[in-house]
Amino acid sequence: MNEHVKPVYLEEKLEEIRADGHQEYRSKSLPTWCPGCGYFSMAEGLTFALKRLGIEYKDVVTVSGIGCASRFPFFVNTYGFHTLHGRVLPVATGIKIGNEDLTVVAVGGDGDAFAIGGGHIPHAARRNVNLTYLVFDNGIYGLTKGQASPTSAVGFKTSSTPYENGDVPLNPLMMLLSYGASWVGQAYAGHQHHLADMITEAMAHRGFSFLRVLSPCVTFDKTNNTYANLNMAARGLPEDHDSSDLMAAMAEAAQADHPALGVYYKEDRPTLDEVMAATNRRAAGTDPA
Amino acid sequence: MMNKAGTDIQIAICGSAGDGTIASGDIMKRAAALMGFNVIAFDVYPPEIRGFGKCISRIRISSQQAYSLKQESDILVSLNDMHAIPHVGEVRDFGAVIYDDHLVSRVAEGGHISAHINPAQIPYGFSIRQISEQATNSARSRNIVILGYVAGLFNLPGEHFRKVIKSKFATKAQAVVDDNTKAFDAGLRAGRAVFKLDDVEVREPAEDANGAEVVMMTGNGAVVRGFMEAGIQSYFGYPITPATSIMERLAVEMPPVGGKFLQTEDEISAIAAAIGAGYTGSRAATATSGPGLALMAEMLGLGVMAEVPVVVVVSQRGGPSTGLPTKTEQSDLNLAVFGGSGDAQRIVLAPTNVEGCYRCAAMAFDIAETYQVPVILLIDLYLSNRYETVVPSSENAFAPKPRVPLKLVKGKPYERFALTENHISPRALPGEEGLMHTITGLEHNELGRPNDAIHMTMTIKRHEKLKNAINYEGLNVSKRFGDTGRVNVGILGWGSTFGEILEAMYEAQAEGISCSAMKVVMLSPLPVDALRAFFNDCDQILVPELNYEGQFANLVSGALGRPVTRLNRAIGTPMVVDEILAEVRRLYIQGPDTQDGARATGAGS
Repeated sequence: MNEHVKPVYLEEKLEEIRADGHQEYRSKSLPTWCPGCGYFSMAEGLTFALKRLGIEYKDVVTVSGIGCASRFPFFVNTYGFHTLHGRVLPVATGIKIGNEDLTVVAVGGDGDAFAIGGGHIPHAARRNVNLTYLVFDNGIYGLTKGQASPTSAVGFKTSSTPYENGDVPLNPLMMLLSYGASWVGQAYAGHQHHLADMITEAMAHRGFSFLRVLSPCVTFDKTNNTYANLNMAARGLPEDHDSSDLMAAMAEAAQADHPALGVYYKEDRPTLDEVMAATNRRAAGTDPA
Repeated sequence: MMNKAGTDIQIAICGSAGDGTIASGDIMKRAAALMGFNVIAFDVYPPEIRGFGKCISRIRISSQQAYSLKQESDILVSLNDMHAIPHVGEVRDFGAVIYDDHLVSRVAEGGHISAHINPAQIPYGFSIRQISEQATNSARSRNIVILGYVAGLFNLPGEHFRKVIKSKFATKAQAVVDDNTKAFDAGLRAGRAVFKLDDVEVREPAEDANGAEVVMMTGNGAVVRGFMEAGIQSYFGYPITPATSIMERLAVEMPPVGGKFLQTEDEISAIAAAIGAGYTGSRAATATSGPGLALMAEMLGLGVMAEVPVVVVVSQRGGPSTGLPTKTEQSDLNLAVFGGSGDAQRIVLAPTNVEGCYRCAAMAFDIAETYQVPVILLIDLYLSNRYETVVPSSENAFAPKPRVPLKLVKGKPYERFALTENHISPRALPGEEGLMHTITGLEHNELGRPNDAIHMTMTIKRHEKLKNAINYEGLNVSKRFGDTGRVNVGILGWGSTFGEILEAMYEAQAEGISCSAMKVVMLSPLPVDALRAFFNDCDQILVPELNYEGQFANLVSGALGRPVTRLNRAIGTPMVVDEILAEVRRLYIQGPDTQDGARATGAGS
């Protein structure tokens, strides 16, 4: 997964980018993220995925909460809803229920997802709402300038943990697996092409897909989730990993210190749209069963 | 206070939780509505499902329009003497107290209701339990036996009761219908065999002139009916007393017609999902009570900021905090009108009766869509749970208007929040070609891009666009009753209390006091001009409401800069007509105060 195979020539690269056409999914607003932020890979990865899947701009709604990652909808040329801190999933669920023809992508960071928004994740997952949830996990609150988050490492000194963080971090992958998410994967902002592939796969999945993206915060974290550390720690899932085996996925997810990238688990089961449609047919007495 | 011109009786049935008190009252009111009477009914029950809590079902049956329950009942039926004894006093002189006189066990001194009946009241003791056991081999049908007895006592036809019993138990075994019918008939025979209450006469109800369909429903039922007629497309809810029955009814009615119904994990996600659905153009709603509204406050702000239509029903109960979950109160006005951060005006409608619940609910979606703003329908437990007969409008009066898709102007980016003359911006829905944009809770410019410098301009836009809502066609945002022109006392009211206000006003008029009453249905934006005209006509203004702080009085006197006299009660039960009347008399006799015109009988003055 080492991407530095040949020197990059900017002219050549620009040609390549223009020819590809995915850039048209970007809006005219320039991202407000710090140079080097892992979130640039997200904008790039998602536009790649939309282009590859051939989804029209008008049929996509990107929904976000609050945080650095949540500024995302402004930077893509789709419909967007920048909502409240922690509430991305219920709003996204409402959008999908309101118009099931829309492709809904929910975006947020680790604080938005696992701290203030933690109560909504199990329900979106168990209902199998047909949307993609991308969590850019940098283990810190960036927008409020560097406080500890639920995925901050023990011992991490931040402005809210000046004498070192003592709280054990959450394991998002294990949480999502046990919540019943029907697609769980992990990617790394430093492996951009793999990330784009994973976003594409997550979006292609019919049901609730959760992709955790390990993403360095270059401004407020110089010790833990740095590119240097994650480059060393990140590994691929074992070649023989069976993504239909929940317990195998759990075992891999438990190795938080050596994060494996790839599709941990996927399962085909009825989505919320389908469950509701079946309920409505039963209620109307038009269910063939 | 008998209405000599026609029928006007009120029956109170009192028992312990599990006695079937509420079920009994339910059959009574449905049968009366079937007979064609106007019915107002309200049940009081404890927060516990079983156990020994007190249940009372009060039903007012009249041939004329009534506005609230009567203070005095004509009949009290006791299914449990311990609970019924404190209510003997609410039976009028020459009214009846019906009880079981065939005791099966020793009762402590003073434990039997017969010892508490006043000399002027008429005791009707009969062996309720024995008749029930003879008819059905069980004491459990006592609640149906007493219905038959009351029907017999007033010479009411039995057929309507039998019809209601049949439909009420339609989903149960035939034996249940048969047993209950037997119990009813046995009670009917007993009731017909005793002497009648000589001053109670049940006449034929007035024939409805235009033959319109008359249905009896609760405030919550009326909200559901209004929503269904307006073509509600998605509903998100979380159980909370007293709003739960709205959710339960929609869970039954929406799926067969393709509606999307979801019980969410909390109130925050209920309104969040409703806003998400509203954003896509779906007619979306949620319903809650005060504690749920407190959780929703932040999302309401997002709805205001991002200009998303959504309808939120709030049925108030006693507060603060968990408060009095099964008691009524009007103390969430501040939260409904002002709750949340920032300058976040929304539309708040407070219907005053069941018919109003139906009409406001049916119109709420179009109002929310027209003004691109959350609409709160503010009711309370008393209105949610009380039954009234309602004449629904003709079909399809409230169905959504067909959407005219926006056109993209070539070379010009679509401005979701364009500044226009009426301050309302043309709204594109996701999925529409070429009109992609992002909406946000951040302050934003016309394009929806985050922008702080434009804050004042956009704040003005969001407030100004609502001003015209008081002229919304078909909605009486305020209405004056009683004497026109200059009056001594004006009673100003909102919500469920307005029924008691009207009763008090008509009685005051009958006493020769020049007075009128005004209801305010739209609490935000407030119809200030109509209010000012009313204030100008009245020597003194009385504001009765079911809260301690005088939230509506504060709102109105703040908006007009004029003093009012307050009548505040936080008692968990509806306002007492006589208390309003006494206050009107006092103001009438005393005349306007020369100091500032305001006197307080409650707090917060």
